[in-house]
Amino acid sequence: MDMLLRLRLFLRLILLQASWNSQRMQNLGLLYCLLAWLRRQGADADFRRRFFRRYYGFFNTNPYLAGFLVGGLARLETEGSEGADIPRQLLATYRDSLGRAFASLGDQLFWLGLRPALTLVACLLALMGKPMAVVGVFAVFMLFQLGLRWWSLGYGFGSGMDILGLLDHPFWHKAIWFIKRLALVAAGAVAGVFLGKFQGLGGTGGLSVFGVGIGLGMGMPLVLRRRLPGEVMLLIGMVVCGVLGFAISLTGS
Amino acid sequence: MLTLYAPTAMVVASSWTLLAGTGLLAGLLCLDETGAVQSWLGQPLPAALLTGLLWGRPEVGLAVGFPLQMVLVGNLPVGQSFVGDPVTAAVAVTAAACRASLAGIGMPDGSLSLDVALWGWLLLGAGLLSLVGHRLVRAEREAFGLWMHEGRLSLRDGDPGRLERLHLQCVGVTFLRGAALSIVYVLLVQELWLPVFPRLGMYGHRALALLPFLLPGLGIGALIERYGCRRCWTWLVAGAGLALLSWGVLAS
Repeated sequence: MDMLLRLRLFLRLILLQASWNSQRMQNLGLLYCLLAWLRRQGADADFRRRFFRRYYGFFNTNPYLAGFLVGGLARLETEGSEGADIPRQLLATYRDSLGRAFASLGDQLFWLGLRPALTLVACLLALMGKPMAVVGVFAVFMLFQLGLRWWSLGYGFGSGMDILGLLDHPFWHKAIWFIKRLALVAAGAVAGVFLGKFQGLGGTGGLSVFGVGIGLGMGMPLVLRRRLPGEVMLLIGMVVCGVLGFAISLTGS
Repeated sequence: MLTLYAPTAMVVASSWTLLAGTGLLAGLLCLDETGAVQSWLGQPLPAALLTGLLWGRPEVGLAVGFPLQMVLVGNLPVGQSFVGDPVTAAVAVTAAACRASLAGIGMPDGSLSLDVALWGWLLLGAGLLSLVGHRLVRAEREAFGLWMHEGRLSLRDGDPGRLERLHLQCVGVTFLRGAALSIVYVLLVQELWLPVFPRLGMYGHRALALLPFLLPGLGIGALIERYGCRRCWTWLVAGAGLALLSWGVLAS
């Protein structure tokens, strides 16, 4: 892939989710990315119509790993335009199956692993009163994920159909395992520093409330049989604080 | 009574300019949340911190951002499961606290006398604003769905320009939503939410003073539940032990 096309794909890839909608999710975003390739071809209206129909269906994947897929699709489209026999159904299967696989990996690796780990490390730095280090953590992640997107575009284009082998690599599961443990250690460290730092603010039963919070956070999904979003937990927490405040006023502690 | 912080000359002289800057920042962070880049600077902690830095009071940003970040740490912001709009909420509450020159809001460092109840009141406001914003984000995505259908015209005439225009239109709408909403929220918090605080009474203040202590625990509990309790404990305790140990060493 030449550098100019890669740069155009990369810049558009950053906006993959801009038109996210509940019906077909990232379909318009994927098409927006691939238009960088299409515009290079100088294709006629009939080719463009067929191209749009191929990619207008439902599509969803992880935005950080989408570069593999976009690069791979650009490679297959290039081969098709150069005369190789690439059936239309193959492109749809490639897009859908890889999209789902990367979405699943991305959920575990980024949303459930790296995001809690990174934000908890940032919380730890916030507790230690280091605001610029907090910004630094997110700046490093920004550079990392932009680099990953750039690299994955090239890797996807270079691999084409062979990219399926990447999904078998044990790296993914090792990375997910490691990052989730990192998140737990960071959560424990936040709890430790929080306890150390806030014990001076006694008189309100603050440390016991912290423990109640952990129990409530673990217990609510078990009792309600569903996980609640943080905002709803906050409101329920306020009710619990009302009850605890009343109890504290009764005991006079 | 709300205790006021002595506002810096910059805040007094350029309050409206800073408010416009807050809108700009919120718009960009809303884009970062889903539409573009996704560097996680739109997470509550960095969003509130950047707002605090903009207003010259990073300690307020940390105080608002830290508990919010902790309670939202278990949220899975993927596709249909997306809930709330914590970006504009965190930005707006931080900016409102700075604009109102509130005192006693910050991370405890031993020297600052904190108004913990007011801190809790701000966090409660942020939670409510995030839930209100959820409706607007849903509406925005419905509009994106309609525009996506409009793009089907290109399947007939083969016009790529329409598809690009519609996609970029979505970028603009997300930015404007974040910018406009955050400015409205700042004014709402400052003019309606904060004046209610002194009228809550002693019982209300006592309950609110517990909230900042509860939220980090809630977040950690939710994370333990999500990861599976039995696999968690050793790593969690190791982290806590390490932190307490280093805290003890540092303190001594």
